[in-house]
Amino acid sequence: MGEEKGYLALVLHAHLPFIKHPEYPDFLEEDWFYEAMVETYIPLLNVFENLTEEGTDFRLTMTLTPPLCNMMEDPLLIERFRHYLNQRVELSQKELNRTQGTEFEGVARMYFNKFRRYQDLFEHRYHGHVLQGFKKFQDMGKLEIITCCATHGYLPLMVHKESVNAQIKIAANDYRSRFGRNPRGIWLAECAYNPGDDKFLREEGIRFFFTESHGVLHGTPRPKYGIYAPVYCPQTGVAAFARDMESAQQVWSAEAGYPGDARYREFYRDLGYDLDYDYIKPYLHSDGVRRNIGMKYHKITGKVALNQKQAYDPYAAREVAAQHAGNFMFNRQKQIEYLSTVIDRKPLVVSMYDAELYGHWWYEGIDFLEYLFKKIYYDQKDIKLVTPSEYLAMYPENQVVQPSMSSWGDKGYHDVWLNSGNDWIYRHLIKSAERMMELANKFPNADGLLRRALNQLARELVLMQSSDWAFLMTTGTAKEYSTKRTKDHVKRFNELYEQIQGNRINEGYVYDLEQKDSIFQQMDYNVYSSAAKEAVLKKY
Amino acid sequence: MTQNLSSSALVRPAAKDVNAEADIPSGYGKTESFLLPKDPAWMFLFWEITQNTLECVKSQYGQDTLEKARTVIRLHDVTGVEFFDGSNSVRFYDMPVIFEARSWYINVPESGRTYLADLGYVTEDGRFILVTRSNISSVPPGRISNVVDDKWMIVEGDFQKLLQLSGADYIGLGSSERMQVLGERWKLTELAGAGTPGSSWSSFKLHLDSVKTEEDEDIWLKADCEIIIYGSASKNAIVTINGQEIELKEGKFSIRQHLPAGSVVDLPIKARNAKGDKTRQVTIKALREQGK
Repeated sequence: MGEEKGYLALVLHAHLPFIKHPEYPDFLEEDWFYEAMVETYIPLLNVFENLTEEGTDFRLTMTLTPPLCNMMEDPLLIERFRHYLNQRVELSQKELNRTQGTEFEGVARMYFNKFRRYQDLFEHRYHGHVLQGFKKFQDMGKLEIITCCATHGYLPLMVHKESVNAQIKIAANDYRSRFGRNPRGIWLAECAYNPGDDKFLREEGIRFFFTESHGVLHGTPRPKYGIYAPVYCPQTGVAAFARDMESAQQVWSAEAGYPGDARYREFYRDLGYDLDYDYIKPYLHSDGVRRNIGMKYHKITGKVALNQKQAYDPYAAREVAAQHAGNFMFNRQKQIEYLSTVIDRKPLVVSMYDAELYGHWWYEGIDFLEYLFKKIYYDQKDIKLVTPSEYLAMYPENQVVQPSMSSWGDKGYHDVWLNSGNDWIYRHLIKSAERMMELANKFPNADGLLRRALNQLARELVLMQSSDWAFLMTTGTAKEYSTKRTKDHVKRFNELYEQIQGNRINEGYVYDLEQKDSIFQQMDYNVYSSAAKEAVLKKY
Repeated sequence: MTQNLSSSALVRPAAKDVNAEADIPSGYGKTESFLLPKDPAWMFLFWEITQNTLECVKSQYGQDTLEKARTVIRLHDVTGVEFFDGSNSVRFYDMPVIFEARSWYINVPESGRTYLADLGYVTEDGRFILVTRSNISSVPPGRISNVVDDKWMIVEGDFQKLLQLSGADYIGLGSSERMQVLGERWKLTELAGAGTPGSSWSSFKLHLDSVKTEEDEDIWLKADCEIIIYGSASKNAIVTINGQEIELKEGKFSIRQHLPAGSVVDLPIKARNAKGDKTRQVTIKALREQGK
């Protein structure tokens, strides 16, 4: 421990549901992955590369959820992303000519330079495997990669603990195969914690997780340090770190949040709508419908109509990001200074965000992070960036508190994932889980085709359990897709279940699903055995 | 997708497909029920009761007894009960229900407790006939614990300060903005066919209902309100609330909406049969006064 007054843990949660449609040459919803790759994940790696090259030390904790890792390593999606990226480079190159001598010259040059740089990183440094990039920085001790529930399953709404156990075990196994060590931490999907679920974390060697602030504040007994130190769960000793609301509000608040600055890039004014149809058509989807293509030349400007937006100035926007980073740091310094007068140990502030907020939504958020890391490293001595593991090594003794059930969703509990618009799904999710357990218990040593069918059955179940579907039904965006996905997995599950029960497994059917729903190649259906769950519950 | 007119393979499920559970089973042919927590005050119970089960109960207790009985959810508080034998709960609460509803939101009497729900009949002479018993489930306390740790003591004044710093006043609020932004994020691909997006949009068009109140040191109060309107109607009936048609799920409907301060709502709920020659109406009125 040095002269610092307190600590800051920055946590970014990177996640997308598993979306892959090999049955179609071109699929709209796969864009979510490609956009996030080119706007968030590779730009973040670019920041890590830059900082490392210039000798700036930094610490960041990041979830890379199992579905995201599976997509990042999927040969088909890698190939399709390569095409997407090539197209962006090609279009931005054309744009250099078209915008020459106009007010858009600077922003066009920015896109071209960025896309080329990202292409270079993707192709030549990571050889198509961005996970290798993330792993590199984890091995250097700068990045702590944590896992998540296998498919972002919402644990408190799972009635059977076998399901909880499986979501954790599958995730931990996936993590080990990709990063060559145990996951030390986990981001419970939607920060949804249910007391006792920490037993399944402990069993996999996971030492910490995150909660919304009231997860710890409403814990029993009262947490002595509020949310400014982690607490240990009873029996298991797994640590819970709670989210700091002050730093969260600074970024998220609609009124005062940074991303609303008029000089930042306008999200809704997109070249996909602005350019001549024949010129832009090759970069649209095969149906030729105008959509966002991720290149935007205007700034927020103010509360004016989209056609009144003014040209974006990348240099000015970067300047604002630097100012905001300075402001964020200043506020953390003040916060930590004040906190240290109230509590008798160095406070820890945990700032948690969705990774895709940075870059994809708040375009300059990536610059903001880069400046923040630099400023914290060079400009002050009050606060120090840490990962949860580093903090626990410094402070191995913590109060034992049973955290409260909670989530970081609207209203703080399960409303978003359980309401009259989506409650019908639980009949199927829970029943399928029960049937999965039934078969896992019935066939503990299956091999051959039966084994393949059981493993695929488990894949259909975990895909059905992605909290994303219920979330999208509530927000009303992508409602059709999320409803269809839920029902598709239910149908596939039921069909496969009937085939297994009737001892009439159709190999062609199994093969087809293995191609489509190809998540978790190493799936072992035995994670659903009731004996495995019982063993964990008895142990702690 | 035979109706796909373009050569594209961009698959959009047909609009009528959405929400229709017609192509997945409505039940699994087994009498059972499941209880899920929603928040400190609410739980969700859903069930399936097969015809066979009803026949069995009928033959055991007699048609006459059942006809005179009430169907209820009997919610047992089983906090601290190691093994529930059907009668050793801390207390129980009965609420009327119709079995055909197949699911119900339950307003629990006390937060931070563990519950279990029985579905069954209460006979005229007060006997309870069990039809199905749910799993055990807990709701969170929703407040700061009264338990203080001897080893990790803190001065009360400091704890109050710390609570405020920790954002105790924000609990569950900040996240709705986050959700809206994330919702917007998914919208990108939803603009399909919409031409140009709305002209007055700006990047941060979020309007969280402000929950700002003057926080006087001595006294302050925050309260908010949502109303839930629920019910059921005969099969194939067309139900409207305030003129707007709503979707029935297995004959059941449930609408939850915010009731802002100073609002008066008048919600006529109408049902008409498929032929359109018969109607029924229930009107719900609610008034929320401005705070003082």
